[in-house]
Amino acid sequence: MSAALSLSGVVAGIGPLTILQGVDLEVGEGEVVVVLGANGAGKTTLLRTIAGLLAPRAGSIRLRGEEIAGRPAHRITRAGIGHVPSGRELFPRLSVGDHLELGGQVCAPARRAELRASVLEMFPVLAERLGQRAGTLSGGEQQMVAIARALMTDPRVLLLDEPSTGLAPRIVLSVFQTFPALRKQGVSILLAEQSLTLGLSAADRAYVMDHGRMVLSGTAAELAGDKRVADTYLGR
Amino acid sequence: MLALQLLVNGVLLGGLYVLVAQSLNLIFGVMGVVNLAHGAVIALAGLFTYWFTAQTGASPLLAVPIAFVAAALAGAVGQRLLIEPVMRAGGSKSELLSLIVTFGLSYILIELALQLFGADFVSVPYLQSSWTLGSLAFGKALVVAGAFAAGMSALLYLWLNHTMSGKALLAASQSPTGAICCGIDVARVRVTAFAIGVGLAAAAGALVIVIMPVAPQTAADLNLLAFVIIALGGLGDYVGVAIAAVLLGIAQSVAGYYLGGNAEYVLPYVLLLAVMVALPGRFRRVR
Repeated sequence: MSAALSLSGVVAGIGPLTILQGVDLEVGEGEVVVVLGANGAGKTTLLRTIAGLLAPRAGSIRLRGEEIAGRPAHRITRAGIGHVPSGRELFPRLSVGDHLELGGQVCAPARRAELRASVLEMFPVLAERLGQRAGTLSGGEQQMVAIARALMTDPRVLLLDEPSTGLAPRIVLSVFQTFPALRKQGVSILLAEQSLTLGLSAADRAYVMDHGRMVLSGTAAELAGDKRVADTYLGR
Repeated sequence: MLALQLLVNGVLLGGLYVLVAQSLNLIFGVMGVVNLAHGAVIALAGLFTYWFTAQTGASPLLAVPIAFVAAALAGAVGQRLLIEPVMRAGGSKSELLSLIVTFGLSYILIELALQLFGADFVSVPYLQSSWTLGSLAFGKALVVAGAFAAGMSALLYLWLNHTMSGKALLAASQSPTGAICCGIDVARVRVTAFAIGVGLAAAAGALVIVIMPVAPQTAADLNLLAFVIIALGGLGDYVGVAIAAVLLGIAQSVAGYYLGGNAEYVLPYVLLLAVMVALPGRFRRVR
């Protein structure tokens, strides 16, 4: 059986800069994997490359065995990569309900209704805010909208780019508490996270990224006790 | 009674202005293209309508859909071949680049209009009588053109806010990355927006010539009119722009009566300067 998502030798960058220097990574079916790394390690670039917002210069990106590297980004979304980008990228003047509709337009109507029900069950507060403009929501609610929008595309793999940014720890935990339910629905998760403890608490397995390369990997439990992880962060 | 008459005329004129401005609003607000060829498209479509009605004797209203379709197709081609490559290469300077490109394009269109239709002001004689209601008189042409234009603007508004394809367009304008995360083909959405914007500008042109004489050099005045309305109403704000258009129509109608035709003509320029001094942030895109 092939992994939900597998990358091998992925090289990518912006303009003249090469940021990802040959990244290998695997996310199993139903697995929650975290990519840890300091600011500037290349986590966002990695997620943007998987989502197709940046075209890889070399290497392979497979979604359930199917090569998706180099496809247009909107096709990659449709192929089953849900992306919760850094900065959330909501539509400030559209309502919460519009966000769900726009995310769901890639699915058949019956599936859309199912997804909508399950998303609103996961984030009940959004059900009360359906008519409200996204720009007027609190940070935590905006993060929920971004996740809900991505889930409405019926993804096989959900990419979460530092969902903890700017949120109170209590709200971050409530976001992470949705992972078991997603896993049950067959959604695999790739989380990029700066905070070691937060990231390791939420994941099955972890990679540590530094200067565009994966320098360590292992189960969350292994890495939690590995002092090399902290050393990478401190640049030692 | 006079006040009411001026008000009615102003509102009808405003209905036409809504379309003149809203088509630019779509292109500028959604795509970040500062389309200085907007006025030239309106003028060219107006002159086409003059030629069309003179040749066929048909109603100028028949020219509206023809102008819309032809301009939308030309707009789609122009967007793909000219505007989009420039916008993509421009990065953070793309709005400035689009301004330069469309400025050049406007000269080409104006020159084309001069070659095809000459430099004279022409008008289309259409419904030259009035309906009267009590002591109020409504110029039939103004009523029909104003109502038709306002109706098309209303359709644009309904499309944008109440259909998935319209919302996809708004989404792509507010966050292209977010739109891609929804599986929206942003490149296709941008072509559609540009084509519809140019098409609506041409439709406005076919209606403008029914109520005022048009020549190729009218392009500059029409540009200014549209930009003033957008500055007043708020870029990307469709309701605000509609209100601003009607207010400008009323202001022009009142100024024209009390201060004469020159004042009416100068009013948009004065308003533009006033807006730029008083509200310098007005040309920023609404986010």
